[in-house]
Amino acid sequence: MSASAQGNQNTTKAVVSDSKDSSQPLSAQKPAAQLEEDDEFEDFPVEDWPEEEELGASGAAKTHLWEESWDDDDTSDDFSAQLK
Amino acid sequence: MESIISAFVRAFQSESGYDLAAVFTPIAPKHDSGRLYSFHRSTNAYSVQTDVRYALTELHMPKGESNAWVEVFVAYWKAVGEVLAAEEALNIGKNQGKSSAESADWPKVYDAWKDVLNAMHRGYSTNYFEAWTIPCLYVSGKYLRVFAIKADETLAKRKGGVAFNAGFEDDVADGEGNTEKLEDAARQINRIFSLCISDRAPLAESRKWGLYYITNLLFKTYFKLNSVSLSKNILRSLQASATDMPPLSAFPKSHQVTFNYYCGVIHFLDENYTKAEEHLTAAYNQSLASATRNVQLILTYLIPTRLLTSHVLPTPALLKPYARLQRLFAPLCTCIKRGDLGGFDAALQAGEDEFVKRRIYLTLERGRDVCLRNLFRRVYVAGGFEAPKEGQPDGERVRRSRVPVAEFGAALRVGGEKEIEGDEVECLIANLIYKNLLKGYISRAHAMVVLNKKGAFPGTGV
Repeated sequence: MSASAQGNQNTTKAVVSDSKDSSQPLSAQKPAAQLEEDDEFEDFPVEDWPEEEELGASGAAKTHLWEESWDDDDTSDDFSAQLK
Repeated sequence: MESIISAFVRAFQSESGYDLAAVFTPIAPKHDSGRLYSFHRSTNAYSVQTDVRYALTELHMPKGESNAWVEVFVAYWKAVGEVLAAEEALNIGKNQGKSSAESADWPKVYDAWKDVLNAMHRGYSTNYFEAWTIPCLYVSGKYLRVFAIKADETLAKRKGGVAFNAGFEDDVADGEGNTEKLEDAARQINRIFSLCISDRAPLAESRKWGLYYITNLLFKTYFKLNSVSLSKNILRSLQASATDMPPLSAFPKSHQVTFNYYCGVIHFLDENYTKAEEHLTAAYNQSLASATRNVQLILTYLIPTRLLTSHVLPTPALLKPYARLQRLFAPLCTCIKRGDLGGFDAALQAGEDEFVKRRIYLTLERGRDVCLRNLFRRVYVAGGFEAPKEGQPDGERVRRSRVPVAEFGAALRVGGEKEIEGDEVECLIANLIYKNLLKGYISRAHAMVVLNKKGAFPGTGV
């Protein structure tokens, strides 16, 4: 198949086809990059990992990840003035 | 041929399942990028069987086992041929400006790869292949799904023909869509699932160790097919055989985290937010910190979940490393905290497409109650304190607990809600009372809201 395709393009390049062949498998990696869609959970690069590499490991940062949903700001005065 | 066979032999002698699986990938390894090509060129369709059989003699396998591997190799050799042909067509097509779906014959690749999967399946169902080799099943299932998606794109293109314009073709692919091959892939992966779950061998050498990987692959496939409900069947099968399975915590972390993510999302879509929070939190804590995309996906569902279950918001510190999440959630969070209803609605609308696509729109919309609660809480706080009664210690000042309905109405109007009537305001208040976000009652005779003296807004310190 490759021979005929290349033959159509340029019959004199029969010798070159070898060098082209060896470069071919490199391109085999490209589709792999497109295989996973951007909104899909992807395979982790490793199968397993130690606890230090877990997100939950940095215990100190953990408490600062979530906060209360209300704001006790000092603008209450403005706000009550606005209400009037 | 030698390179691939020696990799196989090495993996076999060290009983390394993942190394063995790496032999049967449709993508050449980085360190040996020409492997697929040289393997395919080293023999031909007539002699591949004898060549492989001869090459494998050094392992001295029992005849049945060796035959089963030879079958796998032969199917793999053919599939590699199709993959290489597809690559080549792709390269030629690229020069002509064609898309991958147009130029390569992905359905053919799919069928060839399905033969690889079937050959693998036979090796296990006849019990020739030992349990340590199960990563081979992962690889065959994983790429079957990948090729199925590509094959469906090609089929959709062919069916659509050249008459359609680009915008329309997208509709054909996404909408009613061509999912014939992917549905077939789901069936094949499901066969692997049965193969693993039905294994009665002792746990140490059981194919049950492959269950979570295969389950995750099935979840992924069902989600893509938009048939999330099928995932629940799988969950039920897993639960039914939970007693003769290793605990989830005994599996590799990548299996655990992925499983918890999908379980969390399934419960999330079912509006079972308590369960969703459990699974998503576990997934988050255990996730590999460097796997940014996965962490973002986990948080995409964990953030709306926690907003509803515990009324908490992510801190800027949590969002900071993830630009996409910041863009998605930061505006909403700011508005919720401020009780800015108008801003909340605008932010929800601005992100609507993305929120709908991720299926979090409805959940986020429910966050409006929290936003409203915060607005009314501000009214309450702004009301200040009652004049202290005689003999009352200074520390125990009581907030004004009777607030005119009109004040809440005014707050809504300040926030941009135009022409809101007294009845509507009462309705909003009644809703908050019903949802336990506000404690008290409405006295219609006095047009007042009488709030609880203690904990008028449960869980918010006032």
